[in-house]
Amino acid sequence: MENETREKFIIPIGPQHPALKEPGHFEFSVDGETVTGATVRLGYVHRGIEKAAEERNWVQDLYLLERICGICSHAHALAYSLGVEKLAGVTAPPRAQAIRQLVAELERVHSHLLWLGVSAHEAGFDTLFMFSWRDRETIMDVLEGLTGNRVNYSVNVLGGVKADIDDARADAIRRGIDFLEERTQHYLKIATSDETFLRRTRGVGYTSREQAEELGLVGPTARAANVARDVRVDVPYAAYTDFPVQMTLDTRGDLEARFVVRIRELFESYRVVRQILDRLPAGELTARMPRRIKEGETVSRIEAPRGELFYFIKSNGSDKPERIKVRTPSICNFAVVTGTAKGHQLADMPMILAGMDPCFSCNDR
Amino acid sequence: MRLGAMFGDMFRSLFKRPVTELYPFRKEPAPSRLRGALTYNPAKCTGCQLCVKDCPSNAIELITIDKANKRFVMRYYMDRCTFCAQCVQNCRFGCLGMSNEQWEMAALNKEAFTVHYGREEDLQKLLSTNPHE
Repeated sequence: MENETREKFIIPIGPQHPALKEPGHFEFSVDGETVTGATVRLGYVHRGIEKAAEERNWVQDLYLLERICGICSHAHALAYSLGVEKLAGVTAPPRAQAIRQLVAELERVHSHLLWLGVSAHEAGFDTLFMFSWRDRETIMDVLEGLTGNRVNYSVNVLGGVKADIDDARADAIRRGIDFLEERTQHYLKIATSDETFLRRTRGVGYTSREQAEELGLVGPTARAANVARDVRVDVPYAAYTDFPVQMTLDTRGDLEARFVVRIRELFESYRVVRQILDRLPAGELTARMPRRIKEGETVSRIEAPRGELFYFIKSNGSDKPERIKVRTPSICNFAVVTGTAKGHQLADMPMILAGMDPCFSCNDR
Repeated sequence: MRLGAMFGDMFRSLFKRPVTELYPFRKEPAPSRLRGALTYNPAKCTGCQLCVKDCPSNAIELITIDKANKRFVMRYYMDRCTFCAQCVQNCRFGCLGMSNEQWEMAALNKEAFTVHYGREEDLQKLLSTNPHE
């Protein structure tokens, strides 16, 4: 607690700040260079997407919600499509589900490589940033070739997918994955062996398993603290029952563990992508969807690259949803900044923030 | 534990060309599935309006010239389009497509973004009745 005789000195960071790629406001109270407390204020990129979704029909909403986030666009579209299909009582064909999972895993690869670059940049390790982003272009090209766009893939439709995979395209994906697997090995070695880099990550932002449970962390941030929480394993959706993934856990709970967990998750994604390409089920790409969705409400959960993405969808029987509520993984993980900041150097704050992979646009919608 | 784990990468890069694409000077062909500008083939259109209904950004207008003879003109607002290809998915007659060649769309005025598609005589008729368009 504050010493009564000493004034508390607060350093405000944001909403507009060179260290932040997106707007968010942080207040760090400091004693010299040591942080004694942190608060976070969000909502600067609120665009009213949930309300706007009530004005559009079910199909239009798919593309609106896909644009909540530029990095995990497929995760949003997938959670929404699965939810609406559940409400309508329609199941997408197995081939469509497998392609959805394939794109979701490719997206995870691109998101984790992007994160690796951003957090290396925050650590001042711009070489790793440049090289990992150069390699990330491979996966962007793969996604562009497969779906037709680099960012908002729009591969989902209600009841299935748009893009099919033939042998030539499968080979292109395999080639990209082979190259990236080799590079990822290299990055794992760098992230766990470079002396200078380890000084920025080892022991920084430590959360114990109990603390992670208490803060309600999700995704790789929680798995780095040995919390076995992964929607892909716990409640498999899409084709995750046919092509299961292994959960990647680490016991250390610090920033280094978050690096290791995310990089090792990439290998799991490469393995699953290859498995899907080898055993892609044959059949239709879409199932017929009604224009009006029958009355009811549902919850749809998927594992976005940053953690559990939660959709609540309510229909009143018309061609428009009555309410859509989105809870993104970032809102759960912001607790890691406020919870672990105390006692660290101020210079560690950007690393702790980047270490949970925040997405302000997702979070504020 | 070692120092300078990426020195090797940096040293090898000194002898390589930059990986950046030299975009306006050298143009790589776009992937075959790239979603560029919308294309419309009026010959098969029945005017069912399914493309208009599901467009998330109201980028399509279908103007009826003569319903009995299935004559339609499509007004396409390229600046509103989000290139999601839902209209292409919805069209049961294969009238719509997204070009992988026309994707450089910058223009100096807004007029360039309103495109009319249809038979030549229908376009003439539409533009003569609404000269301000």
